[in-house]
Amino acid sequence: MKTLFVSMLLFAACANGDELPIGATAPKFALVNAVDGKTVAFKPGDGKISVVFFTCNQCPYAKAFEPRLIEIAREYQAKGVAFYAIDPNDESQYSVESLAEMKARAAEKGYPYPYLKDGDSAIARAYGARVTPHVYVFDGTGVLRYRGYVDDSAKAAERRTSGLSNALDELLAGKPVSNQATRAFGCTIKWKG
Amino acid sequence: MRRGAILSLLLFAATAFAADLRDVKDPAKIKELFPRAAKLRVVNVWATWCVPCVYEMPELRAMAAALGREAAFVGVSADDTIPEADRAKVAAFLDKQKIGYTNVYYRGSVDDLMSYYRFEGEIPITIAFDRAGKEVWRHQGPVHSAEAVAELRQILRRMR
Repeated sequence: MKTLFVSMLLFAACANGDELPIGATAPKFALVNAVDGKTVAFKPGDGKISVVFFTCNQCPYAKAFEPRLIEIAREYQAKGVAFYAIDPNDESQYSVESLAEMKARAAEKGYPYPYLKDGDSAIARAYGARVTPHVYVFDGTGVLRYRGYVDDSAKAAERRTSGLSNALDELLAGKPVSNQATRAFGCTIKWKG
Repeated sequence: MRRGAILSLLLFAATAFAADLRDVKDPAKIKELFPRAAKLRVVNVWATWCVPCVYEMPELRAMAAALGREAAFVGVSADDTIPEADRAKVAAFLDKQKIGYTNVYYRGSVDDLMSYYRFEGEIPITIAFDRAGKEVWRHQGPVHSAEAVAELRQILRRMR
């Protein structure tokens, strides 16, 4: 019976979690930054609006949003917003997701944010992320105020709504976020384990 | 000479296959592509840039062949959601995979597509509907042909 219970717990821990609900407190993390090999810690509630997003090296849909995320990060970092990019994909299945490849991509594209390796996909599971790119925005107290897509289209000309920048504008203006949860589309996370 | 003739025939056979790829912008129009006779209407959302989708394509071909005329398939390529999308690449992929059922080169909003089929952003996803348009089966992730065929045959039996 005890074994069954432990197995059930293990199953629950390994299954991909439900997506973090709006109003939830951010799961904290400390992950290695591929750019310099140093550990970067996200401490929710440090007073900063924070954007945590899951992305990767190989997904064409994530790559299509890369210039947009760099543009948004540069604009909003100047307004005091912190950005954390996390690659949760299993490098043992996809070598392009290794720290060395991540470092090379961050340098090539000039990432203005740390590019963190979630080697066992545990942080992606804790957030309930499903795809790359998948975005989460927390207010200064560490509470989730937006989750979902960057924009509803990777093509600028076809963009109808910008989930991420709208959320940041409203939070910076001290307003409640009007469009709190959207459907993130992209490549399924290549889970470790 | 004989070898040349055989080679020509093989080349002809290889190039003769042409996938049926239609441009659609409104997700509600996709259901109109199914033949009326089909009891089960199976929609598969995929993209050439999606690794698991490419992996599952032979499984879908096998599924369609095994289920016969009672089930009709329509693939929906979500390739066009990225700026460098290439319609010709999608057609060539379908040709190479010898996919005989209709495919859609979806040109609309991916958000509209997700709302219409009620899925949360991950592809491939395969959904079966009855003639009335009611969803009767759904599979997230790559299908395994034998399992999916067994499940859909059971659904077909209940429809009789």
